[in-house]
Amino acid sequence: MSPEEHFFDLLPAYALGSLDEEEQLQVSEHLAVCAICRAELQDFDQIVEDLPLAIVQSEPAGDVKNKILAYARKDKDFVERTSEQTWWARLAQAMRASAPAWGIASLLLIFILGLSNLFLWGRLNEIERVSQSVLLSIPLQGTDATPQAVGMLVVSQDGEHGTLVVDGLPALDEMSQYQLWLIRDEQRTNGGIFSVDEEGYGNLWVSSPEPLLSYSAFGITVEPTGGSPGPTGVKVLGGEL
Amino acid sequence: MDYKELDDQSLIRLIARSQESALSELYDRYSRLVYSLALNAVGDPATAEEITQDVFIRIWDHAGTYQAEKSKVLTWIASITRYRSIDIIRRRKIRPESQSVSWEIEPSAIEMNPINVEETVEISQKRRRVRQAISMLPEEQRQALAYAYFQGYTHREIAEVLGEPLGTVKTRIRLAMQKLRQLLEQEEHADE
Repeated sequence: MSPEEHFFDLLPAYALGSLDEEEQLQVSEHLAVCAICRAELQDFDQIVEDLPLAIVQSEPAGDVKNKILAYARKDKDFVERTSEQTWWARLAQAMRASAPAWGIASLLLIFILGLSNLFLWGRLNEIERVSQSVLLSIPLQGTDATPQAVGMLVVSQDGEHGTLVVDGLPALDEMSQYQLWLIRDEQRTNGGIFSVDEEGYGNLWVSSPEPLLSYSAFGITVEPTGGSPGPTGVKVLGGEL
Repeated sequence: MDYKELDDQSLIRLIARSQESALSELYDRYSRLVYSLALNAVGDPATAEEITQDVFIRIWDHAGTYQAEKSKVLTWIASITRYRSIDIIRRRKIRPESQSVSWEIEPSAIEMNPINVEETVEISQKRRRVRQAISMLPEEQRQALAYAYFQGYTHREIAEVLGEPLGTVKTRIRLAMQKLRQLLEQEEHADE
């Protein structure tokens, strides 16, 4: 459909997210090139924003708040503990205080680093050997929208769990997040949502109801914060098993 | 500091700096909305409480990503709640009863926030307008709209649940949204 032809009839359902996947994609592509439909959509987006005001409101049980605040307290304690000065930081401070002995200490440090490099080299070779036998890495490639993006899905030997690492993706605003899709027979299952830092780096612990190796492909799209039931936004990364 | 005196955006900024009391105040303001949205979506109080807990934990964890210039706090929270609820419905294959969805179409008491009266009046007016507009929709359009909004169902899924032709459902959703737009525009002009 050209920009001159519009999707006015589908825009209300698009704002609600109730179009089928194919229609949703068609409208998304049209909106990218049609300012008239984008302006029309704003009215329907506003209605969707206002709809929560029309529901009957009732109170959740009393202990929900306690559980949320208990989580916040625990999380805050953890952050405070980890932000306290570490042993290494205290050591560095002590070294600065003993500036006259710094030259000798530096030589000693270089010697220790040399030894540790040799040790790490050996460990790296060992890890490579082990990882080749127990982990499967699935590379994900950027799309036309994000040619600079790269990703890797590392799956455990039993295929039950995996870790997704991405780099080079654009940082999103608070209304959007990236969502991983596990694809099999054209069906897309939610694999989790994540955000990236300002440098485009992000990761996600992936745990699916079925073994990850039972899926044939993996894709990542931009979705509203909290994720979507099915892909609605731009695809940014993809890869096949 | 009296957190009740702070506006929503200030609370979010304090939550981003790990201020539990700010989270507590935000919960007091929005827990009813979050819980009720989730309850309308999943139809089960225990699952709705689980979603409520999850939404506020997400707010605690991601408050730093909130951008005031993009949306109001209410919109941000409602959006997180809606998508989280729809995700749970899909993952757990929940089939809520249509009767569990309830639009407030009767006039109800306005909940006033004694600190920010201006904002409360604005929201209350908007709430009245939206409820009035929804009450003027035919029942079958309200029902189709509820399935699309709360459960995140597609046209095809709504047609299956209601046992109606796909085209009929598409028309109901379209007419409902167009009618709401027309009614809300009229109401807004009438209030000015």
